[in-house]
Amino acid sequence: MRIVIVGAGEVGFHVANHLTLENKDVVVIDKNPDAIRRLSDNLDVQVVNGSGSSPVVLEEAGIQNAEIILAVTDSDETNLVACLVANMISPTTKKLARIRDADYDKYHDMFSSHAPHIDTIINPEIEVVKTIDRLMSVPGAVDIGEFADGRIEFVGVYLEKNAQLAGIRLSELPAKTGKARPLIAAVVREEELIIPRGNDRLLAGDLVYFISEEDKLLETLSVFGKHDQPVNRVLIVGGGRIGFRLASLLEEKSIQTKIIERNPDRCTVLAESLNKAVVLCGDGSDQSLLAEENIRDIDVVVTLTDNEETNILASLLATRMGARKSITKISKFSYFPLMTAIGIEQVVSPRLSAINTILHHIRKGKVLSAISLKGEQAEVIEAIALETSDIVGKPLKNISFPKGALVAGIIRKEDIIIPTGDSVIEPDDRIIIFAIKQAVPKIEKILSVKLEYF
Amino acid sequence: MRWRFILNIIGILTFFFGLTMVFPLFVGLYYQDQSVIPILKSMGITVLVGFSLYLIFRKEKAEVISQREGMAIVAVGWSAVGLFGALPFFLGDGSFTFVDAVFESVSGFTTTGASILTNIEALSKGLLFWRSFIQWLGGMGIIVLSVAILPFLGVGGMQLYKAEVPSPVPDKLKPRIRDTASVLWKVYALISLVEVVLLMVGGMDLYTALCHTFTTMPTGGFSTKNASIAHFNSIYFDCIFIFFMLMAGINFSLHYQLLRGKPLAFWRDSEFRFFLGTVAFLVLVVSFNIYGSIYDSLGQAFRYGAFQVVSIITTTGYATADYEQWPAMSQLILLLCMFIGASAGSTGGGIKCLRVMLCFKFCYKQLFSLIHPHAVSHVKIGGKVVSDDVMQSILGFLALYIGLFTLSSVILAGMGVDFTTSFAAVAACIGNIGPGFGMVGPVDNFAQIPHLGKWLLVWCMLLGRLEIFTIIILVVPEFWRK
Repeated sequence: MRIVIVGAGEVGFHVANHLTLENKDVVVIDKNPDAIRRLSDNLDVQVVNGSGSSPVVLEEAGIQNAEIILAVTDSDETNLVACLVANMISPTTKKLARIRDADYDKYHDMFSSHAPHIDTIINPEIEVVKTIDRLMSVPGAVDIGEFADGRIEFVGVYLEKNAQLAGIRLSELPAKTGKARPLIAAVVREEELIIPRGNDRLLAGDLVYFISEEDKLLETLSVFGKHDQPVNRVLIVGGGRIGFRLASLLEEKSIQTKIIERNPDRCTVLAESLNKAVVLCGDGSDQSLLAEENIRDIDVVVTLTDNEETNILASLLATRMGARKSITKISKFSYFPLMTAIGIEQVVSPRLSAINTILHHIRKGKVLSAISLKGEQAEVIEAIALETSDIVGKPLKNISFPKGALVAGIIRKEDIIIPTGDSVIEPDDRIIIFAIKQAVPKIEKILSVKLEYF
Repeated sequence: MRWRFILNIIGILTFFFGLTMVFPLFVGLYYQDQSVIPILKSMGITVLVGFSLYLIFRKEKAEVISQREGMAIVAVGWSAVGLFGALPFFLGDGSFTFVDAVFESVSGFTTTGASILTNIEALSKGLLFWRSFIQWLGGMGIIVLSVAILPFLGVGGMQLYKAEVPSPVPDKLKPRIRDTASVLWKVYALISLVEVVLLMVGGMDLYTALCHTFTTMPTGGFSTKNASIAHFNSIYFDCIFIFFMLMAGINFSLHYQLLRGKPLAFWRDSEFRFFLGTVAFLVLVVSFNIYGSIYDSLGQAFRYGAFQVVSIITTTGYATADYEQWPAMSQLILLLCMFIGASAGSTGGGIKCLRVMLCFKFCYKQLFSLIHPHAVSHVKIGGKVVSDDVMQSILGFLALYIGLFTLSSVILAGMGVDFTTSFAAVAACIGNIGPGFGMVGPVDNFAQIPHLGKWLLVWCMLLGRLEIFTIIILVVPEFWRK
């Protein structure tokens, strides 16, 4: 399967990386020779140096035989034109484009029904704002995603030193908590992702990923010692596009919002567009400004400037000065592993969101959503079990599942089932699978339809 | 640098390389000659050493190979293959000294075609087949072959590929390196097959046709006959060989385009035009130069002139005439051909047409900007701008090539070798051609070179085959620093 990616930035790079590991043929186009070199030095992909919106370049990249084109350059216009050209040369190719400008928000449908026929428009900023919103409302969560249209959440929390669950075997959990066993799907310990079995213990300091129904989420979180704390006051540092979107959302929810922006012109624009939020012109890492704005009483500080170092410092400073928690926007993936070490727990990344959405659309079979865990070591895949696929109709223990993959939950109509070795997946069940990166292609194969049935 | 990991990979490569010795073994068994025992022994040793290296270091796993490690693996891998490939010669009837065996083997793998044998036809058929077969393996590259057939080299394969096929302007035929490698090998094997058939149509027996195809397609130049191609003395064979030497000297991605139904790719490629134009021009000059003085008929002059020029410029090294008897101008043109070499992405050696062409363009650009100091101009190839980085690496390559050539000739002369022979032997080895001038001319061989000189030439052949950087980097102290 050939996939053409326009744009060798962080998103293009990481999507390409994912796809090559899954043995797909990837061709990447970029104008910048340095970006191209970085790709060809590190990944097993074909590279084409040129403008992704040029028909000549797209033909050179083999757009005619491509199943999917991904337009993920920094420029919305380039992405649109690339899709338009691709549509002319090769109408059957599936088109995905990243479009970020808010002005396009209402016209996404038109782009798919009219000329460029873009199958999916990805706006990572909308996704990121959603994620920030969820992180704010779920206490203690450092990573969060949703399945089954939001009915089921998957959450990552750190196990505190004095947590009552520390040192307990998974199989002992129900006895200890007196409640139903939370669906623990994966544990990240010392940068390594483990898919735990009944005999494995949870240790303090682990990052535990579990799955829960949305309405039982708070209950489950209390098992981990995380209790609900209402969010009333939010400070946003950085009034860019994401900052503005978040501020508007918070306004709708009647949460007191302050937004700090450096650029006076941008401040004027923000002040004009926002009604209740307080727009402050200044530097987010300015101590006196933070003190002046009662940082001690702020529930959540969200740092969203374009400069990740500023974000990290502003978050650290704010929590040190008394803010209850902080959410930091990070784009450089190489920083993710460092975040825990320097004391930043909640991180959002528009790029990671974009990658998740893209991967979801590329997967074969009836995959509903796919989410990359932090540092991309693993993925959570939600899929519909097709009648013709290998996993249906026999006990799980008899299915040859690849190493490093686990069925974490089965959703049958309204019920969520914690699978055991004897559970049988029925056709049209939704299943949630945790899989380390290396196991993803095999999982995909298992999920996809066997051809001989047709 | 994870040496244990590198040795693990080397072990695997050696193991598979050992397995390829079954082919000469079959030939030996078929002709029932004395090569069977030495080949069997060599195969056992190679496979065992490879397997034990793999076993000892099997715990060393790595998902990615750094560029440095890629270079180390290729450089060490080629040296190892050169040594193990020498075993069948060395373990034979004792006619080969160790250095001679290594020289013959490395000359094979690097597709040089320089030989220390005084009487080639005396060698057993099995060993002669091995001698040709290793040229064929080395021509498209053993690492490329490994990348194509060994799945676990997946991602790291790219670093290895780049270290073995260091094209000035890299092009990948397929999105994945494994597919690229296997496509190249398939094209290579297909053209080889056509040549075998055409040679057999001309009346050659299967064994001789195979042995010669195995040395034409990689632009190697070993022959199973003492007199090289002159032995056959047939216009038909001369034409076939000229055609296939040219084919081998063309960028293989163009052949691939042709097979995909895009024959126009040839004409659009400016390096191809440059290569063919240079060949045609030099053939004409040489033919007229030797017409009258050496050959009486223009047809004869053209036949021998064309064969020699094509053979040298594609760095094959077959001979149908003793060009040392030719006028000085023709000899100097042939010497020039040794440096120009074939196209980038071909199996030929030398500096490569692409680099030569870009150097010309660069020089012109320099002159141009002297005349128009404010002009903005770029070196272009096929309408595309060549970046300064690429230009710099080409100039660096050129400087290293000439520098190492000079240095090695001086050292060789210091060992008591005469003036012409020293620089011709080094030029012929670093350019992977084979025959040179003087003591190592087309009717002579390398047996007279002193021991140490042979080791020096072995090193030159490896330098030339891996296009300098991959080998020379090993002697840079910075490479070894942690």
